[in-house]
Amino acid sequence: MKFELLTVAVAAVSLAVAASGAQAHGPTRQKVSETIVINAPPAKVWEVVGNFQDGGWIPVVAKTEGTGGSAAGAKRTLTLKNGATVEEEVAKLEPEKMTLMYRIDKVDVKVLPVTNYSSWLVVTPEDGGAKSKVEWRGAFYRGYPNNDPPPELNDEAAVAAVTGLYKAGLDGLKKKIEGGS
Amino acid sequence: MRPASPLSPAGKGRPASSAAMLFAALATVASANVAPARADEAFITSQPAETLSVVDLPTRKVVATLKIPGKPAGIAVSPDGKRAFVTSPDGKALTILDAASRTVERRVEVGGGPLGVAVHPSGSPAYVADWYRHRVVAVDAASGAIAGEVQVGESPSGLAVTPDGALLLSADRDSDAVSFVDTATLARTDSVKVGARPFGVTIDAEGQRAYTANVGSDDVTIIDIAARRAVATVKVGQRPYAVALAQGRAFVTDQYASTVSVFDTGTLQPVATIPVGDYPEGIAASRDGALVYVANWEANTLSVIDVATLKVVADIDVADGPRAFGAFIRRTD
Repeated sequence: MKFELLTVAVAAVSLAVAASGAQAHGPTRQKVSETIVINAPPAKVWEVVGNFQDGGWIPVVAKTEGTGGSAAGAKRTLTLKNGATVEEEVAKLEPEKMTLMYRIDKVDVKVLPVTNYSSWLVVTPEDGGAKSKVEWRGAFYRGYPNNDPPPELNDEAAVAAVTGLYKAGLDGLKKKIEGGS
Repeated sequence: MRPASPLSPAGKGRPASSAAMLFAALATVASANVAPARADEAFITSQPAETLSVVDLPTRKVVATLKIPGKPAGIAVSPDGKRAFVTSPDGKALTILDAASRTVERRVEVGGGPLGVAVHPSGSPAYVADWYRHRVVAVDAASGAIAGEVQVGESPSGLAVTPDGALLLSADRDSDAVSFVDTATLARTDSVKVGARPFGVTIDAEGQRAYTANVGSDDVTIIDIAARRAVATVKVGQRPYAVALAQGRAFVTDQYASTVSVFDTGTLQPVATIPVGDYPEGIAASRDGALVYVANWEANTLSVIDVATLKVVADIDVADGPRAFGAFIRRTD
């Protein structure tokens, strides 16, 4: 269970964060990138990765509900296994590049200690198309918008949480596709 | 300063061989061909990489990479090309560099969250916006001494100084306003309301108008500087970051749309929407106005836009997370 990767313990610091609005953030946007090779052709992997309305390959996700398919502007709400929700929106779908870009519209920093989060899922051929490489990239600010953040909402905490999510998510994707489920 | 002509070294002290003279003549021809771009350079801050990439613009190659700690973001090169000023918000510092020799002259602890930076047309002081403490700090370029500070609105981000050096403008992001500061007295004299969450602010060459990129309202506010008021609002792409001006047109980086929106500064009508890399941020025009350079934070490239054709003509690879927030073009002559 990779649950703990998302549930960062937050003590008494969330009040200022909640009051400050989604756009307020610190000055330094963070980047994370994780990749995995999957033993399946790119088209098959893209079928899963490019379907915005099913986040079930991410181990912490219990349920996906949304509208608009996978096109730009499509929305989904992920309900996690701990009951928390994450609201997301497609920013850009490029099937020819097998690239999906989406953003988080709403998430509690106790669930994922980030703000202004965007991410990219990119599938590219490996071994001449017999296998696939999946890259999951993210761009985001830490959960705490002001200076001198507490440790659980600082840049390192944000990077660690997203890195953990991506590793677990890509592992889940590989298992799902290679396991044929 | 770079020598004005490659002929001068060969002419000194000893007779030049005919081959050397031929080479010198060819070199002169070559440099004449690139004269419109004047061999200028781009000083690109890469925030996660913690570097400053120096890009030679005629050859479109990175010619130097300097380590700058503290997640460097803001950049201002002095109008004479002598110095570069880089803010490090995570290091709470301003780094002052000798631009030609690529050496750090000073690292000044300014505190808070230094982000936007601009330099007075005379070359000093450098003004640093403190995102967290809502002030602008003036730093003497030569000594690195803090010359003064002024309180502005909430979370000042972009800064710009009028060409005559009389006024400093600060885009106060969380006040939805632009502060006017008298540079002689370092007193804040006015605050002009603009769109939601102004980030970059750019002043035209005549010192008449200022343009703010409003992240929250997806538009650009045009300020009449003398009148101290907003005179127009122009819709652009999602989450605009900063504005560059070239040949009567405004070029605006749209972070979320991954485009540069172009509009005519006279008619205020849209001219083009140019796709660039993801998260386009810092933007600046070449001195002759022929090209516009865009730092793409996610794509790790510097896009080159031809102002005449409104097309991307090159993408230059730079270090991870180029931000280049500020006046990043350096003159070398």
